Amino acid sequence: MNDFQVVVDAVHKGDIKTAVAETQKALDKGADVQEFLDKALIATMDDVGENFSKGITFVPQMLRSAKTMQECMKLLASSFQEGAVKSKGKVLIGTVKGDLHDIGKNLVAMMLEGAGFIITDLGVDVHPDKFVHKAQEIEPDIIAMSALLSTTMPSMPLTIEALEKAGIRDKVKVIIGGAPVTGKYAKEIKADSYGSDAGASVNLAKSLLGLS
Amino acid sequence: MRLTEIPTFQPRLKVFNRDQVLAVHGAALEILEKTGFKMEHPGALQMLADAGCTVVNDDWVKMPGYLAEQALQTAPKAFALYDQQGNKTMPLVNGNSFYGPGSDTTFTIDLETGQRRRTVLQDTANFAKLVDGLENMSFAMSMSNPEDVPIENIYVYAFAEIVKNTNKPIVFIADSGKDIAKIYEIACFVAGGEEEFQQKPFILNYSEAISPLRFPENVLDRLIFCAQKRIPLCFPSGSNAGGGAPVTLAGAMALGIAENLVGLVVHQLTNKGAPFLFGPNVSILDMKSTVVSYGCPEWSLTQAALADMRDELYGLPIWAFAGASDAKIMDAQAGAESMFSIITSMLSRCNLIHDSGYLEYGGISSLEMLTMNNELVAMSRSFTNGIPINSETLALEAIERVASVPGSMFLTDDHTFENFMQAQFLPKLLDRTRYDGWAESGSTDLYKRCNMETKRILAEHQVDPKLDDVLMAIDKVCKGR
Ligand code: B12
Repeated sequence: MNDFQVVVDAVHKGDIKTAVAETQKALDKGADVQEFLDKALIATMDDVGENFSKGITFVPQMLRSAKTMQECMKLLASSFQEGAVKSKGKVLIGTVKGDLHDIGKNLVAMMLEGAGFIITDLGVDVHPDKFVHKAQEIEPDIIAMSALLSTTMPSMPLTIEALEKAGIRDKVKVIIGGAPVTGKYAKEIKADSYGSDAGASVNLAKSLLGLS
Repeated sequence: MRLTEIPTFQPRLKVFNRDQVLAVHGAALEILEKTGFKMEHPGALQMLADAGCTVVNDDWVKMPGYLAEQALQTAPKAFALYDQQGNKTMPLVNGNSFYGPGSDTTFTIDLETGQRRRTVLQDTANFAKLVDGLENMSFAMSMSNPEDVPIENIYVYAFAEIVKNTNKPIVFIADSGKDIAKIYEIACFVAGGEEEFQQKPFILNYSEAISPLRFPENVLDRLIFCAQKRIPLCFPSGSNAGGGAPVTLAGAMALGIAENLVGLVVHQLTNKGAPFLFGPNVSILDMKSTVVSYGCPEWSLTQAALADMRDELYGLPIWAFAGASDAKIMDAQAGAESMFSIITSMLSRCNLIHDSGYLEYGGISSLEMLTMNNELVAMSRSFTNGIPINSETLALEAIERVASVPGSMFLTDDHTFENFMQAQFLPKLLDRTRYDGWAESGSTDLYKRCNMETKRILAEHQVDPKLDDVLMAIDKVCKGR
């Protein structure tokens, strides 16, 4: 039994009202913010993510849980700024140049966010230079690229090249995904890893950053 | 006794009543009037503004419903695709259904090894040739995204390869205004000139808007090009329930139709009377796997409903899908899902029906599955043809003969000899042999038999070759001169 069981249950169910009220209560009572974040929110989302992978939970339910968590996180925002708690890491994500498919990319972003990463989403049709400039600005831990078309996949190595030229390739992990993308392709273009679906992307991101 | 002629009822599926049709259409118009859409093509934006649309925030457009109604009036209610030899093989009018494969798959099932592998240009050739040899496949599509051609010209190379390997009509993809101009150039060479092409168009462009409500510049470039040149075009968006569109099918249809109407309006403003194939793609986003399904019943349901909207209201021929599956190999699931969409699309009289032979929700193309579907289409046609009633089919005389002559049987009666070919569906690949015979001939399953039949067709079928100067011109266009 978790100290924050009511919040845990509310996040599971996607009951935003209860979750937010209980979060506020916990904070008012002086709960340790880091502990609350880890045990009440992130651990629950890990659980939800696992249930999703097993086919017990459906996407809309999972996304509702993620939204519930986000609402609770807002109450913790001031602590984030004060540096009292750490996020899992920063992810810069986008669909590559020429490609306008965004549903898969959005799902990956939401899953990562649910797992505790801070997301910057550049949208679709993202030019390699745009990835580079944003990366220089926000210094992400991971750059995630999505491509659904064979014709737009070559934008991925171009972006990696641009990161190299800008001298920041070794400061970030690059992960890629999308229907025509394969693990083999990821190796060829020297990306750090490839994920076949949104669930996989969370494990990928965690293992690349050495998180459990 | 002579009967007066009784028309044969052909079984027909109906999903929407008139009230439902009007409600979905009304919702689509409301989306255009109240929500509006993002038009990123400056020329089209200007056209829409001049025609009476309101433009807010640079490129957000609100469209009065009457513009859609006008476009529905000026678009042709029927048009035809010709084969490359000038025969009118695909008259797209109410009631006619034509099947064919789909476009860009990343992978294919190798005919020799049975393994999933990346597609190459030879696969494009094989699919085109197979279509040419299958009597129930009416048009060709690339079925591949070949890895071994220059990627900036991939759609031109794929198109050229199809032209070289079939004389049937072609549904094609292009990326930009540039490659579609090249494809058109090739088509004109094949037809023997631009005027000849316009008389007997054999190609149809498959372009897509971006759900929800976004119209990129390069997509509109293609639409306007097609309207100007009167190249038939379809313009489905990916308004998949739960993905690009609301999860409820009614809302997903309304959104997809609204997006289609925007395309139709720009198309008809560009060139009144240019041919437009109506219809969105309304499948679902699967809530466990997050794939857009090609085997679900919902897509079949929404396109059957769209066929009712055509009959009640729109009058324009429609675009549809069938013969596809989410299975990863050509197994029982592939057969079940494939047949489900084939029979329902035919029963609802969808017109141009693509994606036959898709596995893995559009990730894999399968030659064997296309061969299987050729037979499933035949099987479905034998069903939708209904039961003709006349003195010959009622066969009262044959009954009289067999009943009155001792020892006689229907099998030996002339009536059977004269009628069995038309009266029965005669399968070629679906196995009805007795057990021992089946075991002796190798205990094959349908996949194996389709594999053998595909190999046979690819080895034996002769495609009428194109003239040398046409081939040379095509190569020139591909290589960019
Ligand atoms: C919906 C759709 C569209 C919609 C997109 C709407 C939108 N807002 O995104 C529309 C209609 C606009 C569209 C357009 C086109 N499309 Co499209 N489209 C699809 C379709 C049916 C589903 C894609 C989808 O949304 N899936 C649902 C999401 C949730 O899944 P997903 O995208 O695969 O993402 C998951 C994983 O791949 C992974 N993932 C994705 N990105 C990333 C990134 C990282 C870092 C990681 C780790 C994981 C990851 O996780 C995601 C979540 O689980 C697919 C076929 C299919 N069934 O997959 C074709 C498909 C992708 N399209 C295709 C094509 C050809 C086109 C067009 C060129 C067609 C045309 N005639 O013009 C245009 C191109 C437009 C452009 N320039 O981008 C082809 C691509 C073939 C190829 N190899 O190139 C496909 C495969 C269909 C086909 N077989 O022909 N399309």
